Amino acid sequence: MERQRIGVFVCSCGTNIAHHVDVDAVCESVQGMPDVAIASSYRYMCSNPGQEMIARGIQEHQLTRVVIAACSPRMHEKTFRGACKRGGLNPYLCEMANIREQCSWVHSDRLAATEKAKALTSAAIRRVRHHEPLESLTAEMCPNTLVIGGGIAGLTAALELADAAHDVFLVEKTERLGGNLARVDLTAPHLDSARDLLTERITRVRDNPRIKLLLNSELRNLVGYVGNFSATVRTNGASGAHEEKTVDVGNVIVATGYQEFDAGRVTHYGHGKLPNVVTSFEFERMLRTGRIETRDGRLPQYVAIIHCVGSRNKEFHAYCSRVCCMTALKYSHELKSANPSCYVSDIYVDMHAFGKGCEDFYKTTSEVKTLFLMFDKNERPVIRKAAPSDDCDMLIEVNETLSGERIEIPADMVILMVGMEARSDSGEVARLVNISQDRDGWFMESHPKLDPVATTTDGIYIVGTCAAPKDIPDSVAQARAAAARILGKIAKGKIEIDGVFAEVQDERCSGCRMCNELCPYSAIEFNLDTRRSHVIPAACKACGACVAACPSGAIKGRHFTVEQLHAQIEGVLL
Amino acid sequence: MAARKLQIALYWGAACGGCDVAVLDTNEFILDVAAAADIRFWPIAVDGKYHDLEAMADSELDLALFNGAIRNSENEHVAKLLRQKSKLLVAFGSCAHMGGIPGLANLVTKDEILATAYLSNASIEPGNQTIPQARTAVDGMPLEIPSFYRRVYRLCDVVDVDYFVPGCPPAPDQVKAVLLAVVKGELPPLGSVVGASERALCDDCQRTKSEKMVRHFHRPFEILQDPSRCLLEQGILCMGSATRSGCGVRCPNSNQGCRGCYGPLPGVADHGASFLSALASIVDSKDPKEIDQILAGLPDFISFAYRFGLPASTLQRSYR
Amino acid sequence: MSFEPKIVGFLCNWCSYTGADLAGTSRIQYPPNLRVVRVMCSARIEPTFVLRALAGGADGVLICGCHPGDCHYSEGNYKAMRRFPLLKRLLKDHGVDNDRVRLEWVSASEGQRFADIVTDMTERVRALGPLRIKSDLQTDLVER
Repeated sequence: MERQRIGVFVCSCGTNIAHHVDVDAVCESVQGMPDVAIASSYRYMCSNPGQEMIARGIQEHQLTRVVIAACSPRMHEKTFRGACKRGGLNPYLCEMANIREQCSWVHSDRLAATEKAKALTSAAIRRVRHHEPLESLTAEMCPNTLVIGGGIAGLTAALELADAAHDVFLVEKTERLGGNLARVDLTAPHLDSARDLLTERITRVRDNPRIKLLLNSELRNLVGYVGNFSATVRTNGASGAHEEKTVDVGNVIVATGYQEFDAGRVTHYGHGKLPNVVTSFEFERMLRTGRIETRDGRLPQYVAIIHCVGSRNKEFHAYCSRVCCMTALKYSHELKSANPSCYVSDIYVDMHAFGKGCEDFYKTTSEVKTLFLMFDKNERPVIRKAAPSDDCDMLIEVNETLSGERIEIPADMVILMVGMEARSDSGEVARLVNISQDRDGWFMESHPKLDPVATTTDGIYIVGTCAAPKDIPDSVAQARAAAARILGKIAKGKIEIDGVFAEVQDERCSGCRMCNELCPYSAIEFNLDTRRSHVIPAACKACGACVAACPSGAIKGRHFTVEQLHAQIEGVLL
Repeated sequence: MAARKLQIALYWGAACGGCDVAVLDTNEFILDVAAAADIRFWPIAVDGKYHDLEAMADSELDLALFNGAIRNSENEHVAKLLRQKSKLLVAFGSCAHMGGIPGLANLVTKDEILATAYLSNASIEPGNQTIPQARTAVDGMPLEIPSFYRRVYRLCDVVDVDYFVPGCPPAPDQVKAVLLAVVKGELPPLGSVVGASERALCDDCQRTKSEKMVRHFHRPFEILQDPSRCLLEQGILCMGSATRSGCGVRCPNSNQGCRGCYGPLPGVADHGASFLSALASIVDSKDPKEIDQILAGLPDFISFAYRFGLPASTLQRSYR
Repeated sequence: MSFEPKIVGFLCNWCSYTGADLAGTSRIQYPPNLRVVRVMCSARIEPTFVLRALAGGADGVLICGCHPGDCHYSEGNYKAMRRFPLLKRLLKDHGVDNDRVRLEWVSASEGQRFADIVTDMTERVRALGPLRIKSDLQTDLVER
C-alpha cells in the first residue's frame, strides 16, 4: 500500500477529555505507528486556532491524511472536514476518534479510559490510510412537481408552485377537489365557511394553465430520484376504461390527507344502530343543508356531543386528533344559533384548545350555556334508549370526573367526534413513493422538529394530515413550506450529490440481482442488456445494505469500504 | 531448440481421488501432457515411492499438483517434500485450496472422530476398544503410522502455495488451461487463483434472474422446479451468487443449487459469511418469529455455508 | 489481575451511535471494555465483520441499530434482524457461545439503555472468560 503522511491531532476539550484521558500519552502511543508524521494535542481543536493548527499542519508536514481524536463525529466532523479543506486536503481524507462522548465522559478510571482512547485513535489511523478522496456530483433538477391529493394542502402547494411559473401535475383520486374540508360547514375557531376557503383555491387551480389537473387519478408508479422522477398516473374514465400517462417531475408532494375513524368500531355507542347517533361528518352535512333534525324530522331539544371517538384511547388510537375539540365547540355554537332553547351537553376527556384564537373560542362558547361533562378516557359514557315516559330519545350515563358523580343526561341526538386516522391506502402510497410510516400509519418526516415536511427520500415531501392530524392553518403552512423547499431547489437548477454512495464495480458484478430488492430508495437499477446492477448515486443514501449483502463483494460502500472497516476493527482491538 | 520436458508430480493428501480422476478426464489431452512432460511422481497412476521423491534435488520438479487436505502427518510431510522439490506448487481442487469436504471434520473434535470410527461404530467387533496409535510395538518391533491431527488444514496452512486451482473437482477444461499455461510459461502473479472466473457463477448461469425475496426454503426434491428460473428465487439453496464461476455451471444445469466448491470471489474474506449475509437479507419478513421460522428451513447451515472451506473460514483459518 | 474482555460494538450512526453519544453527554458511566465502530446503518454490518472481530481478539461483539420501524433508512435494521439469527447459529456451530454476540435496538434517546446494555454484556462476557480462537488454532503439525 502507498505510504501516507498522517497527522494526528488530539483534543483536550478543556478538561472534558483531559480530565479522564491522558492526552499526551495518547499522542505518544501513536507517534511510532507506521505512516504517522506528526501527533500533537491542543486545548480546543474545534476553536479557530485549533482548526488553523490542522490546516497549517497539513501544509507544513505535507500531510496526506488527518486523524482528529476529539468529540463525536456527529458533533464536529463537518468542522474538521472544513479545516482539512482549508489546508488543501480532500475533506474525506479525515477521520475522527470519539474520545469524549464515548470515552472520557463515560469512564472515570483514567488508566482504562486512556487505554481505550489509544485504541480508538489507532483504529482511526489504520482506517484513514484506506480513505479515498471523494467529490460530490451534480444532477439536473426537473422543475415540474407532482402533487398527490386535491385537499386544502395539495391545492395550496400546487398554487404556490404554479404561481412561481412552474408546472404542476395535481393528481386527485376522486372526481372533485377539496378533500375532507369540502365536507365541512364552518371552520373553528373563526367560523368562516369552508366553502369560501376552498372555492377561491379551486377556481384558481382550474384557471391556472401551469396546473395539469388529473381527477379520478392515482399514482401507479414512481421511478428515479430527486430532480429526475418519472411518475406514471392512471386516470379512470367514466365507462370503467382507464388511461395511463407518464410525466417527468423533479419533486413530489404527498398531500393525501386522512380518513375519519369508523364510529361503528366503538360498538356500544350504537352508531348505525341508534338512529340519532351521528358522526361529526354526518352532522356537518346537516349543517351544510341547514336542517338539523332527528331521523324522524324533529328539531332536537337535547344534543350530546361525545369527544375522542377513536382517539386518545389504547384500544383504537392513542394520539389526539387535534381538531375535534374546537369542532365540538363550533357545534354548540351552531346548535344554539339555530335553536337557542336547545340543551347542549359536551362530554369530553380534556379540552384541547392550544391553537391561536382557540382558548378565546372556548371561553365564548362556554358562555352560550353548554353543559360540560368530563369523563375518564378509559371509562366511556353509556348511551341507552329512553323509556316512553321520558321526554327524550336517549339517556347518557357519564361518570363525571370533576364532580365525582354518575350523571344521567337526556339526548335526542348524539354527535360522535370521530378522530382522524391514516388512510387505508396510505401503505400503498408509502410504498410507491418510498417513504416510511409510523406505527399509526402516518407518513414519517425526515426530522419531526427540524425537517417536518421532508422525508428520508430526497425529493418526496409530506404535507397536511397525511403526516399526522392537524388543522387547516398547519396544513396550509406545511404546503407552502414544501413548495418553498422545492422552489429553492428549482432556483438552484442543479442538485448536489454527496460523494458518499454505494457503487457497483462492474467488473465484479455477476448480475445475481441479490441486491435489487434491498434498496429502500430503489437506487439500484438492473440493466437487462448487460445483466449488471448499477447504483444511481443521486438516489443512494449510503446506508450500505446492498454493500453488506453483495455475495460477490462487488458493491463498494464509499467511505465505509470493507478495507476501511476491517482496518478499524483490527485497530480497536490493539 | 529441443524443449526440455516438463518435470511434474501429482499427489493426493486427504482426498477422495476425484481430483486425480479429473486430470484423467482431460481424455486424450493427458497423452499430450505425457508427451510434453515427465510424470515423475503420481501415486494413483504411476509407480513411485516417497524415497524417489526424497532423492530428487531441490527444485528439480517444475510443477507439483497437490490435491487433498492436510489431515495427518503424512500429508504434511509430502506437502513439504513437494514444496522443496518443485519450482511451482499448486493447490489443486477444493480440499487443497480451502480444506474441502474433509474440512467439515473440524466441526467435531479428534476424540469424537476416533470414538465414532473405532469405539461406537456398529461394525466393530464386540469388546474391541482399539484406537490406532502413531507409535506401537508389534512383536517387539516398533511400528509407526502417520499421526492423525486434531484438525484439517489447507495446503497453504503448511507450505507456501504458488497457485490455487479450485473445484471439486476442477473442471477438465480448467485443468487443461492450467497445464497449458505452465507449459507456455504464461502464469499470473503468484498466489492467484487460476482456472476460475473473477465473477460469480450467476454470470454464466442461464437461468432467468429477477428481484429476490424468499419466504420458504426447499430441498430440491420437495418442489416442482421451474428449470428456467433462478433456483434461489424458488427457495432452493444455491451458492452461485457467492461462488467463483469456472466449473461450467455444473450443478445448476443439473437442477441442483451450486454448492460453492470454487470458493469465494476475489476480495471476499469469508465465503460462508458473505453468502449468509446475502441470503438472510432476502428473507421476506420483518417479524423476528417468522424470520426464525423461515431460517429453520436451513438445517445445518454451517455445513452448507462452508461445505468446501471450513478450514478457510475466518474463525478456523490458521494464521500462518 | 481479573480478566477484562474486549468487546467490539458496531453502531448505526443515526440511532445507536447517537444514543451512545447521549450516554456521554448525560455522563452515564459504563465499563470501558467496548470499542465502537460506527457504520451508517445496521444493514451495513457484514457478518464477516463480526467474525473478523472475534478472530482478531474480541471476546464479544455488540451490534446496535434503530428500533424496528424507526430506521433512518426505513428498513435497514430489518436486514440486520434477518442476518443475526443465522449468524448466531453459525457462531454456535463454530463453538462461539451465543452470549458473546448480541443484537440490540437503541434509539437516539436511549443513553441509559445503551449504558445498561454495555454493562450487562461486559459482565456476561467477563463471566465467560477469554475467547480463545487463535490459541485453539495452535497447530499440531509435527514438522514445525
